[in-house]
Amino acid sequence: MSEGVMVSALALVGASLVGLRAWGSGGYALLLGLGGATLVQAGGGMWYGDGSAAGVFLRLLGLLTMALASYVPEYLGHHPKEAPAYAFWLPLFLLAMVGVAQAPPGLPFLFFWEGMALLGYLLVALEGPKAQAGARAFFLASRLSGAGLYLAFLGQGKLGPDWIWAGLLVGFGVKAALFPFHLWLPRAHPVAISPVSALLSGAMTKLGLYGLFQAQTWFGPPPVWVGFALVLLGLFGAVYALVRGLAEEDLKGALAYSSVENLGLMLAALGGYFLTGKVLFLGAFFLHQVGHALFKGLLFLGSGALSERQLSRLGGLWHRMPLLGGLVLLGMAVGAGLPPGAVFAAEWLLYQGFLFAPGLLPLGVGALALVGALALYFYVRLFGLAFLGAPRGNVALHLGPGMRFGLLVLAVILVGLSLFPQEFLRPLGQGLYPSWVPWGLLALAFGLYRWLDRRPSRSYGTWDCGFQPLTPRMQPNALGFSEPALRLFPFLRLKVGERPELDEPLERVYQGVGEGFGWATRLVQALQSGSLHFYLLLQLLTLVVVMGVVLL
Amino acid sequence: MTALLFLLLAPLFSGSVKWLKARLTHRQEASPLLEYRNLAKLLSKAWVRPGLSTPVFLLGPTLVLLGALAAALFLPLLPGLSFAGDFLVALYLLNLGRFFQMLAALDTGSAFGAQGSYREGLVTILAEPGTLMALGAAALAGEGLGLAGLPVLGPENALVLLLVLASLAVALLAEGARMPVDDPTTHLELTMVHEAQLLDHGGPLLALYELAASVKMLFYAGLMALLLPGPKVLVFMGVVLAWALALGYLETFGVKLRYLRLPDFLSYNTLFGVLALLGAIWKL
Repeated sequence: MSEGVMVSALALVGASLVGLRAWGSGGYALLLGLGGATLVQAGGGMWYGDGSAAGVFLRLLGLLTMALASYVPEYLGHHPKEAPAYAFWLPLFLLAMVGVAQAPPGLPFLFFWEGMALLGYLLVALEGPKAQAGARAFFLASRLSGAGLYLAFLGQGKLGPDWIWAGLLVGFGVKAALFPFHLWLPRAHPVAISPVSALLSGAMTKLGLYGLFQAQTWFGPPPVWVGFALVLLGLFGAVYALVRGLAEEDLKGALAYSSVENLGLMLAALGGYFLTGKVLFLGAFFLHQVGHALFKGLLFLGSGALSERQLSRLGGLWHRMPLLGGLVLLGMAVGAGLPPGAVFAAEWLLYQGFLFAPGLLPLGVGALALVGALALYFYVRLFGLAFLGAPRGNVALHLGPGMRFGLLVLAVILVGLSLFPQEFLRPLGQGLYPSWVPWGLLALAFGLYRWLDRRPSRSYGTWDCGFQPLTPRMQPNALGFSEPALRLFPFLRLKVGERPELDEPLERVYQGVGEGFGWATRLVQALQSGSLHFYLLLQLLTLVVVMGVVLL
Repeated sequence: MTALLFLLLAPLFSGSVKWLKARLTHRQEASPLLEYRNLAKLLSKAWVRPGLSTPVFLLGPTLVLLGALAAALFLPLLPGLSFAGDFLVALYLLNLGRFFQMLAALDTGSAFGAQGSYREGLVTILAEPGTLMALGAAALAGEGLGLAGLPVLGPENALVLLLVLASLAVALLAEGARMPVDDPTTHLELTMVHEAQLLDHGGPLLALYELAASVKMLFYAGLMALLLPGPKVLVFMGVVLAWALALGYLETFGVKLRYLRLPDFLSYNTLFGVLALLGAIWKL
């Protein structure tokens, strides 16, 4: 562990202790900021040094921490009752994540891993009774994840690589929202407070990816089926999450589904790397992670400024807060995978990796293109319905100077990464398209925009067909906007009308598993009647059966 | 260079299609060159700024046109720009424009704009995978990911490239907002896709949108021209001429598909894309 990490760990512990007493003070923000800055510094020194990816994660975590340093104290002003608790647990949660990225494999790693899960659970559950279901989903997912990891770490040397990697796939896959295990994420993220969602989605899920990547140095190269599983489940999960997210009415819930999509693409990139060993995939894997952490952090923190998150009750927010609108638009345009965003650069690498992969893998290009088109639709819907058009409800907006600064930090870094992705990819020995292309396009767009804006114009209302004045209710609502696309995917069995309903097929599977489990426990419970006679009878029966088996 | 050519050629292309359609329906035809004067008129006009609009309203036309022109920059018809994987950047530049066009339509708070916007999104979902797979197949059959390295139709790769061409043809109809996907002349809200998004844009904004729509079609025609043998610019002119004729006839004698039937039609695009890709993989 380097000195930089030590300094940041101390700063985080300090922030945690200060936060208990004085979460609104400058000292808290300063300590958090110091922790973040040293993490970025420490991460830079060892960026993908000797096959270890810890540097990327430290850097990513540091960037988010720096943004949170100015954001959190002001944000907590809304939750004066729980604020000390949040201020205390949040730095510790960050510390646990630093620990995961730094700990050697084995018990220390598991200690930090479980600590991270526990603290994450606490942070979600703190939000109050509304958050109970989400927190429970998070907790169950953490248990499943832990179980997989125990299997892998304890079985090392005893089990074959197939079993070890199955354990790892479950253990780390759950955290990274691998397809059939992703359901907890859209449940837990929207209920938490915005800074916590930003950390959960931006940083914690990445540690699952980090684990899967590092595992090849800990446990040896993965069997071939692991690569295929990651590619298939990753791509399928990305499409599935976007389709399901298109029907989500809650702004943060939709953002959480978008996280599942992005993580799916990263998992597919990792799978491609496992299968082919091409550095293209690795570039896509790492660049996408940092890009996703930045833009999703920006969007989650931005949504923290709104008091209402139902898309159908938002609208016209741009007029009330153009700065927030602009920053969110930046985040969403990057998230939709548009050039020259960082996410696009990552997808561009992924496309090329798939096209020249052996076997049927080039067909993955179709899935990627579908993801791209769906993401476009997805983000147009979110931004258009929430920030453009006429307002559809009373929404309180709160974005103080400190929160604004936090958002700006993320936005500036995101723009930097989008315009200079080469710098990021250079250590991998991975090239990219010439960077003056996006620059030229942006300069031209700026010029043309200015020209249009200065052409003579007059203000007038929106065209209303001459029948009757337009009202905000004439705009489509959240489900109406996505209904045409959802028709293409009948497995969700959308019912539109007065009370729209959406089926989640996977949820029923989990419910079935839960019911089966409950049935089994009731069976065992029946044995525990508490009556001594019954126990004696059971003992006798067991004895008879055992004797019978032994004798015959 | 190619972008400039497209910019100059775009009004002539849309003007010729209009001229042909007028001829076929026995109306008094206007000169194909009228489009240039029309554009000049639009560009000099004042435009209306809807009360609810934000800066996004202007970003729509700006980025649609620039995105399409930047995409054309990568086509090696005339000296231009090229690097590995540039067809991906080109298609995503079109998406960049589309993203802001859809947002600009939502920006005014009108129900029409929103309708056009989600329909556009649907068409994208249906058309994009097939197009990218088709181009990917062409790249696999050629010698690299760049548009400059695309293979030319010959006896050894005829099947794959014909499938690619078919897929691109369907994509052109969807991308250019032409029949049977969209009807460029309609003003009936039940059928509009592209037009519904432009309702509130007038003057120079409308001019940019109209130019962009033609440039996009020329871009797809250019992609098809790259796959055909012969001197590039001549082949391109031939393809454009063929398309002008085809569109004129199609839009005179054809009908627009019902909106809910679109998936059936555009699935041909996907099918051709998948088959082309499978063919390209098989050969390798």
